[in-house]
Amino acid sequence: MARSLFLFDMTFWLYLAALTLYIAYLFARRPSMALAPAGYPADGFDERDGAWATQLGQVATLVTVFGWIVNTAALFTRAFERLQNSGTFAPWSNQFEAMAYVSWAIILGYVLLELRYKIKAIGAFVVGIGFIAMGAASLLPYRYQTAEPLVPALNSYWIYIHVSVTLTSYAAFAMAGGLGMMYLFKERAERRGSTSRFYAAFPDLETIDELGYKAIMIGFPLLAFGIILGAMWANYAWGGYWSWDPKETWSLIVWLIYGAYIHARMTRGWEGRRAAIYAVFGFLMVIFCFWGVNFLLSGLHAYA
Amino acid sequence: MNGQPKVLTERETPRTPAPGVGWEEFSRELVEFFASIKLAMFLFLFIAITATIGTVIQQGERPDTYIQEYGENAYRWFLRLGFTDVYHTWWFTSLLGLLCVNSLTCFYKRFPAVWRSMKQDKLNVSLAFIKGMKQQAEIAVNGSKEMVAQSLAQYFSQKGYRVLAKNEADEVTLYATKGVLGRVGAHMAHLSATVIVLGGLLGSYYGFQEFGVCLEGQTYHIPRGNFDLSVDKFWIDYHENGSVKSYNSTLTVVEGGQQQMTKTITVNDPLVYKGIWFYQSSYGDAWDQIEIARVNIKDKESDKVLKTVDLEWQKEQSVDDLKLKLAITDFVADFAFNSAEKKVYSKTVEHANPAIKLAVHERSSVQATPWIFYQFPDLFEIKDSKYQFELVGYKPKKYTGLQIAKNPGINIVWLGSTMIVVGITLSSFIYHRRLWTKIIPAGSGVTVYLGGTTHKSHIDFQKEFRTLTEKIRTFST
Repeated sequence: MARSLFLFDMTFWLYLAALTLYIAYLFARRPSMALAPAGYPADGFDERDGAWATQLGQVATLVTVFGWIVNTAALFTRAFERLQNSGTFAPWSNQFEAMAYVSWAIILGYVLLELRYKIKAIGAFVVGIGFIAMGAASLLPYRYQTAEPLVPALNSYWIYIHVSVTLTSYAAFAMAGGLGMMYLFKERAERRGSTSRFYAAFPDLETIDELGYKAIMIGFPLLAFGIILGAMWANYAWGGYWSWDPKETWSLIVWLIYGAYIHARMTRGWEGRRAAIYAVFGFLMVIFCFWGVNFLLSGLHAYA
Repeated sequence: MNGQPKVLTERETPRTPAPGVGWEEFSRELVEFFASIKLAMFLFLFIAITATIGTVIQQGERPDTYIQEYGENAYRWFLRLGFTDVYHTWWFTSLLGLLCVNSLTCFYKRFPAVWRSMKQDKLNVSLAFIKGMKQQAEIAVNGSKEMVAQSLAQYFSQKGYRVLAKNEADEVTLYATKGVLGRVGAHMAHLSATVIVLGGLLGSYYGFQEFGVCLEGQTYHIPRGNFDLSVDKFWIDYHENGSVKSYNSTLTVVEGGQQQMTKTITVNDPLVYKGIWFYQSSYGDAWDQIEIARVNIKDKESDKVLKTVDLEWQKEQSVDDLKLKLAITDFVADFAFNSAEKKVYSKTVEHANPAIKLAVHERSSVQATPWIFYQFPDLFEIKDSKYQFELVGYKPKKYTGLQIAKNPGINIVWLGSTMIVVGITLSSFIYHRRLWTKIIPAGSGVTVYLGGTTHKSHIDFQKEFRTLTEKIRTFST
């Protein structure tokens, strides 16, 4: 147990370091807009970042990747520990592990996004959320952090797939929420005519908006799949596929909220500010579904 | 086709004020309303909001629970609005019904266009149609129209497009399309709502859900399946640290005097026979049977314990040195006496006032069957006996709580579920793109007129379109 807890702890500190580096990178960076008047070409500005912005950005990415590897190792170690004393290996069998898995998925999503789009500024927000998830996990009391044996209701192969799919969808919505916040910051700065290089270092609004939408488009089918896997599990364990248990109901609520968003975006042109506010709101609902329901409402899912 | 821009007809047609309201007008307005995205969004959000009620207010509790927590006045409102069972109120069910109507009407109104775009040839378009598109470009290229058309068609099919071409004397027309499945997926998801609701209705009308309390060694008749179920064994497995590992019941199905199947069910592994599912749902202490009881035999005069015996349920046991024969013949967990029927029964299932009925044979002269109470040791006394009996402990028999359910709609629900997951996935990751090209000779070379449309992901499409125009420019060299 101690081994995986040590690794989870290390993950926490590494993500904190990564977040700090990303924020420092934002401040250090001299964005294209600032460079263009000085005679630099607007394209390919990355190489011409301020003296140590590039290095900072690289270190931030490295630390993030390293943190993610440690996070992976922590989950694997936990899986081994579980295998030894609780009859399952799923390293997402309690609230703590679930949080650690969500931050793992968020950071993985972020690293892929950075690889594909080469935009580091997003790290300040998305890695931030991954870090908060990890931090919230480590704030849980010790007895929630250990790999206790599973209660009979959870002891099933469904836990491997239902829980991981649902948590991955939460991670996607978390990324969308982070991007939504980023959009709102940038949009506010633009509206006020701010010339702060901090905001100018963000990618343009259209890109943030589109990326946030893509994250939701990944989360939405995953959540649907997760809910249905849950229904199948319930049909095996509880004697009915749907029993309006608070967790079930809340995941449906979250799904409906994003369903409304997707329809609005497609045909009513919900983009930009409105979409960003909605993405942040949706993410708050996800947080409630994930945390609030477990700690505030009672029900069949109250395992934590 | 007459070169009429198809795309326009797919958009919502602007409403024109009609003189008089005929049936046709009315039904069109009706379809318009029920197929509208506005209604869909309203329903999504309204269902989401009302669904929270049932997660905050406990559902299906007894009236006094609500009165205690919320007061009588609030409870009266709860009843009026159905807040104690929100998900089965007429208004909540109607919302779900409306969502089905909404998605079905949307399918009815919009799917034919998708179907047409899969089936019909799209080559008969006018130049004005291409020029009028949101994404359009004009590129001058060197080369003959056939050559340019060929390399363009090649490029399109490389990119995964389906290409149709028509060569005419004065122009070549190309139509390229990709990702229509994305739109099919969206409509599949729309239909799934109704499929799931139908499956649910079927289940609630022709299915059932019951709860059975079953004791080990007993056989129960299952009238709904017309077979018998015997509970062979119930036990609990523990982890090393003492927490419960699994609850297990071994069940045997008996039909027509024959054992059909035997299975040990656990919480996540039910038994299924003839569409009836038996779930391990709970367990508890039986209120009318025990396994074993410990009884102290005391000497009346000295009040000293002479012997302690463990008696098994309904098995006579001899205590030779005291010349006694003892047997437990009955047990109640919460002693009560019905004076009208002169019968002892258990008032509740709680072990609040447990008592055993002890059959005592002493020497062959004294015979008695007193009730011995766990909490009131001195209540009964056998007059002619030398002994006093005390119940010091017992181990109750466990019962296993079985959930018995049949749901004939379940496969339809799974069908709908598959449709929704596949449908949403398709529509999330694939989007429909259509491109029209006319290549018209101009001067020494040709002019390529390119126009394209998509139903979503406009930014991605814009990028793709830009790359495409760049690509066409390279054809000239």
